[in-house]
Amino acid sequence: MSTLTLNVGRPLEISRPSGIALARNRLVVAVLLFCVAFLVMAARTVELGINAAAPVKAAIRQVAVPPVEFGRADILDRNGEILATSLETASLYADPSQITDPGLIAHQLVAVLPELSVAAIEAKLTSSKKFVWLKKNLTPSQKWKVNALGIPAFQFRRDEERLYPHGRLAAHVLGFVDIDNKGLGGVEHFFNSSLSDLSNVKHALNLSIDIRVQYALADELEAAMRAYQAKGAAGVVMDVNTGEVLGMVSLPDFDPNNIRGVSNQALFNRATKGVYELGSTFKTFTFAAALDDGIVDLSDGYDASKPIKVARFTIHDDHPKNRFLTLPEIFTYSSNIGAAKMALDLGADRQQKFLAELGLLSPSNIELTEVGAPIYPATWRKSSTMTISYGHGIAVSPMQLASGISAVVNGGRLVPATLVHNSDNWRYGKQVITQDTSRKIRQLLRLAVSKGTGRRANAIGYRVGGKTGTAEKPVAGGYDDRALISSFMGVYPMDDPQYVVFALLDEPKGTKETFGFAAGGWVAAPVVRNVILRTAPLLGIAPKKEDEGLYQKVALMIEE
Amino acid sequence: MYQMRKLVTSLAAITAISAGAAVLQLKMTVQEKTDEVQALAQKIHDDQAAIRVLEAEWAYLTSPRILQERSVEFLALMPPKATQILRDPVAIPYRPRGVDVDGAKDAGVVRPVAVRAGGKKSPPKKDGSL
Repeated sequence: MSTLTLNVGRPLEISRPSGIALARNRLVVAVLLFCVAFLVMAARTVELGINAAAPVKAAIRQVAVPPVEFGRADILDRNGEILATSLETASLYADPSQITDPGLIAHQLVAVLPELSVAAIEAKLTSSKKFVWLKKNLTPSQKWKVNALGIPAFQFRRDEERLYPHGRLAAHVLGFVDIDNKGLGGVEHFFNSSLSDLSNVKHALNLSIDIRVQYALADELEAAMRAYQAKGAAGVVMDVNTGEVLGMVSLPDFDPNNIRGVSNQALFNRATKGVYELGSTFKTFTFAAALDDGIVDLSDGYDASKPIKVARFTIHDDHPKNRFLTLPEIFTYSSNIGAAKMALDLGADRQQKFLAELGLLSPSNIELTEVGAPIYPATWRKSSTMTISYGHGIAVSPMQLASGISAVVNGGRLVPATLVHNSDNWRYGKQVITQDTSRKIRQLLRLAVSKGTGRRANAIGYRVGGKTGTAEKPVAGGYDDRALISSFMGVYPMDDPQYVVFALLDEPKGTKETFGFAAGGWVAAPVVRNVILRTAPLLGIAPKKEDEGLYQKVALMIEE
Repeated sequence: MYQMRKLVTSLAAITAISAGAAVLQLKMTVQEKTDEVQALAQKIHDDQAAIRVLEAEWAYLTSPRILQERSVEFLALMPPKATQILRDPVAIPYRPRGVDVDGAKDAGVVRPVAVRAGGKKSPPKKDGSL
């Protein structure tokens, strides 16, 4: 270009051809460059065609599936059965300012959702607010029908509903949630923060409950409650080695799906919050303490020929034999006199210490907030020692009793009761009595069923052991002998204890079949037997012929 | 020479146009596949939500109380007695053996006659005995 500007105004004869030549030369260079590039590409193409191409990895594309969102983790039983889940629902609201004819629209809406009342809807739609809730938690088909009305003032908000597919079953274990899905009872309340933790919502809570066992227990207790017109009932099935609770029932119960109008009585958890004087089942602990301390031996005995007078009351036997009784006889015939005398030999301090060691003097540490504190005398007098030896003057919850019994039969290891599935729970246990004492207690419990007051709990083939308990209910200034708390605590199989089954009936009435009796051996023992017959096959406990030799020596000390 | 240049030019033009068309086609195919993947992801999400509902429904329908009601209504089954339970199925006398019974998959499970031989099903008893 510089040449051109220099030669302005002159004939350009020389510079013009040289410009074309320059351009041509430059073009040739470009063409050559292109040719070289094409040649390289051609060579590369041929090379690629000849050589086997190295496998080319396709770019990995992560396809993001939008996750199903829910605000509260599921609750499962020990086998993975769903006990509580959260489902997406739609909640209907309206903007009344956009509604011209509230009367007509209210009628249209009630035609689709018949559970609503026309008057209430009309009142809401005529209000001056900009936002009114019409109905929470619509099902998909209800939502579709409302949409089909084609009313633009109706809007939906995505909502979530807590659903308990098993209804009343395990209601007291699970508890319930309020309208904002906040846990208000049971494990829903106890584990509320972890269940509603959004980062952890995919991890379901695995309970130790087995819904089949839970049902067998609830079904049998309901039947017994109806048959004996009891005011209430409670039951517990516990794994004696791990402390896991497989079933926990309190009757009357409630449906956690719909808690509106449920009475406090139905919400009350009799298995953990209710504390009862449980009667003779406590003799098991008196025997365990005395045998473990070496104060008595199975071959010893006490004179139970006449009632004992203590302070202002007298200790009688419910099944009086009026003679000297050996220790196995005191246990199988449930002699209050014998147990009371043994407790005096044991001493108040040792008795109190032993019961405290078994966790019977402090609230159960189970994962529920509905836990009742035991009631026992502030000053442990001589009379207290005697009555507590057979389960009067001390009130504990069925859960505490089941824990304590598990400890004395499983080889002496007290494991904390738990509602969470954790077969490693036994590690948290501590030894409370010796293996040998535990073996003796197992023999006594088995004989109480095969020969004593618990005969009606004898589920043939499953080697059941157990102890009846019948206590009069305390009323102002004494005890009411017509209002009973009848219970039975069973353990099976007795040669290798696996499960403890406890059943309690509150104020049962005797019937023709029980000859008018309403004691634990008559009304609660059959419940335990039926529960064992129904659940043992599910829990993998095979029936077998009993090894009589295990109990022969002790059985010989019992005279019919 | 002129002819040659004309030929080369038109060849280049055709190549360019067809290459462009091919690239457009490719782009559209990719877009279609992307949409398909998106739709699949959405469907997986919907199915997962539906599975949650179905699982809840299944838990409800197989709740022990409901199963017992159905059993009382349609089956003449009684709770098993201890004497009816065996630890080892070999103890059953004259028990048929073979692939059908002792198959590796479900050894020890005798299938119902109805399943094995297509036998007739007897109508459910309606005496409610349970």
